[in-house]
Amino acid sequence: MGDAIMIQASGLRVTRERRLVLDVPEFAVKAGEVLAVIGPNGSGKSTLLQALALLLPAEMGYEFDGRAPRLPEEALALRRQMAVVFQRPLLVEGSVYENVALGLRLRGVADSEIRSRVAESLAMFGVADLAKRPSRALSGGEAQRVSLARAMALRPRMLFLDEPFVALDVLTRSAILQDLRRVLREGGVTTLFVTHDFAEIPPLADRVSVLMNGGTVQTGTPREVFSQPADEQVQRLVRAATDLLGSLMAPFS
Amino acid sequence: MRRLVLLLVVAVLMAGCGGKPSNVDVILATTTSTQDSGLLDVLVPLFEKQSGYRVKTIAVGTGQALAMGEKGEADVLLVHAPADEKKLVDAGFAIERKLVAHNDFVIVGPKNDPALVKGTKAAADAMKKIAGAQVPFISRGDDSGTHKKELSLWKAAGVKNEGKWYQQTGQGMGQTLNVANEKNGYTLTDRATYLTVRKNLSLEIVLEGDASLLNIYHVMLVNPARYSKVNAEGARAFHGFLLSTEGQGAIGKLGADKYGQPLFFADGGKTEEQLTAIK
Amino acid sequence: MEAIWQGVKAAVHLLFSGDPETWRITFLTLRVSGLATLISVLLGVPAGVLLALTRFPGRRVLISLVNTGMALPPVVVGLWVSIFLWRSGPLGFLQLMYTPAAMVIAQTVIAAPVIAGFTLAGIGQLDPQLAMQLTALGASRWQLYRLLVREARLSILAAVIAGFGAVVSEVGASTMVGGNIPGQTRVLTTATVMEVSKGNYNLAIGISIVLLLLAYAVTLSLTLLQQRGRQPWVMR
Repeated sequence: MGDAIMIQASGLRVTRERRLVLDVPEFAVKAGEVLAVIGPNGSGKSTLLQALALLLPAEMGYEFDGRAPRLPEEALALRRQMAVVFQRPLLVEGSVYENVALGLRLRGVADSEIRSRVAESLAMFGVADLAKRPSRALSGGEAQRVSLARAMALRPRMLFLDEPFVALDVLTRSAILQDLRRVLREGGVTTLFVTHDFAEIPPLADRVSVLMNGGTVQTGTPREVFSQPADEQVQRLVRAATDLLGSLMAPFS
Repeated sequence: MRRLVLLLVVAVLMAGCGGKPSNVDVILATTTSTQDSGLLDVLVPLFEKQSGYRVKTIAVGTGQALAMGEKGEADVLLVHAPADEKKLVDAGFAIERKLVAHNDFVIVGPKNDPALVKGTKAAADAMKKIAGAQVPFISRGDDSGTHKKELSLWKAAGVKNEGKWYQQTGQGMGQTLNVANEKNGYTLTDRATYLTVRKNLSLEIVLEGDASLLNIYHVMLVNPARYSKVNAEGARAFHGFLLSTEGQGAIGKLGADKYGQPLFFADGGKTEEQLTAIK
Repeated sequence: MEAIWQGVKAAVHLLFSGDPETWRITFLTLRVSGLATLISVLLGVPAGVLLALTRFPGRRVLISLVNTGMALPPVVVGLWVSIFLWRSGPLGFLQLMYTPAAMVIAQTVIAAPVIAGFTLAGIGQLDPQLAMQLTALGASRWQLYRLLVREARLSILAAVIAGFGAVVSEVGASTMVGGNIPGQTRVLTTATVMEVSKGNYNLAIGISIVLLLLAYAVTLSLTLLQQRGRQPWVMR
């Protein structure tokens, strides 16, 4: 991991309908790490992700892999080094194969290369046998696995995950999470992972950034954030999460 | 993007197919009843073959045909509304107004003739009888030459054309005849149309031959001095053809074999006054 | 009943006796309405996509104009196109009045808003985050538009069918700018109206049956294209 920075954003401000929804003076994603961004609903987590993925017009100083690109002219080229998975699978009409191949086709990759990469990423998420299935005929869990495969087939330098498990049931969530954890560890892909569920942090994240009301209030390792919350807000958040977990476990202890 | 626009323009123009120069086209404004009589189906091909011009026959209501002349949107007019034609000439929009042919109107009605029109000599008297008997009378009601003639007859009869018995279709002659047929009523029609659709109807001619029923056709050139875009040579060629021996001959023969009587009487060279004096 | 039967007989006679006039006006109908629909697709689909996906001042005004355009009475379109194409009009020098080209223009004015409006609605019905996902996958602007059009193709094909249907069946504009000239601008609709006004109902019914068959044939082909490979959920 080391200290190389993949994304460095400074003075990041996003205004929506004349309201300042995001105001982050400094934000950095280290190369090779999985950085979780957590916070209550409405804190601006998705907005932060979209800004950093160049999907949203935002006021900011921006460096990708040490270089400051000219925006918006170079945005497309940069986006083609990234991949994003959203809460919903957002697959297009066609077979699973065609969906996973989509990003590669957009980049003009040769068909033979596409075939091997699609097979590889479908296998990563255990859905190789669904290759010919029409995208409409998938269950929620299967579709989200395909969406993840579609992202990983691109071999992105930067992966963004926007609450990818929020629509899934607990069993599916748990299974996919394990697969994702393995893929991220083996691949060493730099990842920004937005969630509102604390339970997803320990298995995946190297660092956590807590976002509240459009601003980062604490960033550190999961242990640091959970045991030494920086202020009252974070403390309340952590406590609420652990209380919930505790009350779930209580009948069984 | 620009290539797309260019492609579109080319495509549209190609749809206009046959990119011949414009002087070949002669726009003839005439009436629907003239077109329906079949006269132009004979005359236009003859003229086109002989002259090389292409005639665009626009068959509309009399009002619209005259308006096209007034606006310079047509090159030559063939209509049958003498009073309005004269207005156009007086105002300087039309020139060389010449008598081409005439046919006549007839009053038709049900075989049993409930208003006892048969035997009447004057058309105005027949209208008086129909109004008096309150038998259905079906009118074109569309400002056509036929409609204007009908209105002049009501006026001459001194009778108001109002009431449940008086119905207006706003449609062409053929359809108006069908309506009269359905309702067992009377109507005023040009002889040519009646002869053409007679086999589908059970209406008969109940009055004919009155001088007031003459339907007189004139050809006029739209004044090129007024409108430079008019195809003056083409119009003149068509005008001349209508009055030529060949044209007049074709006019006089139309319908003779099919209906046993000619649909038109060729009058080239005569004047309107001569015609009305004869009758 | 008798009238309908007579009309059917007339239609069969027209079609199979090889009556050249009937075939000529049928092909002209197909050429004029087909070309108008094609041009309307080239204009309307991109317009609908741009209206759906971009934001600019006056966008809503433009959308309401498109929606109004979808309901324009054809005879009004014919009148206004005439005003431009008349000799006295600004485009009179093109001498397009009373030509098939003028009919194509008028029918394009009728069909293009229909196609744009349905495309706009079709794209608007797609998942709002889909465009963002495709952009995130590395689609350029044009790749994005192409993909969204593909996703909305059911709606867009419906738009094409609606556009074609609107123009192949209209008579007001064709009459005004075409003039129903035999051998030049007479199409199935204007011929039908003419025969009705002459009182030749059998012939009119016959021609109208030819028109219905033509409209059905084209619509059937487009529908087969639209429904290709779809497996709907069926209620049992």
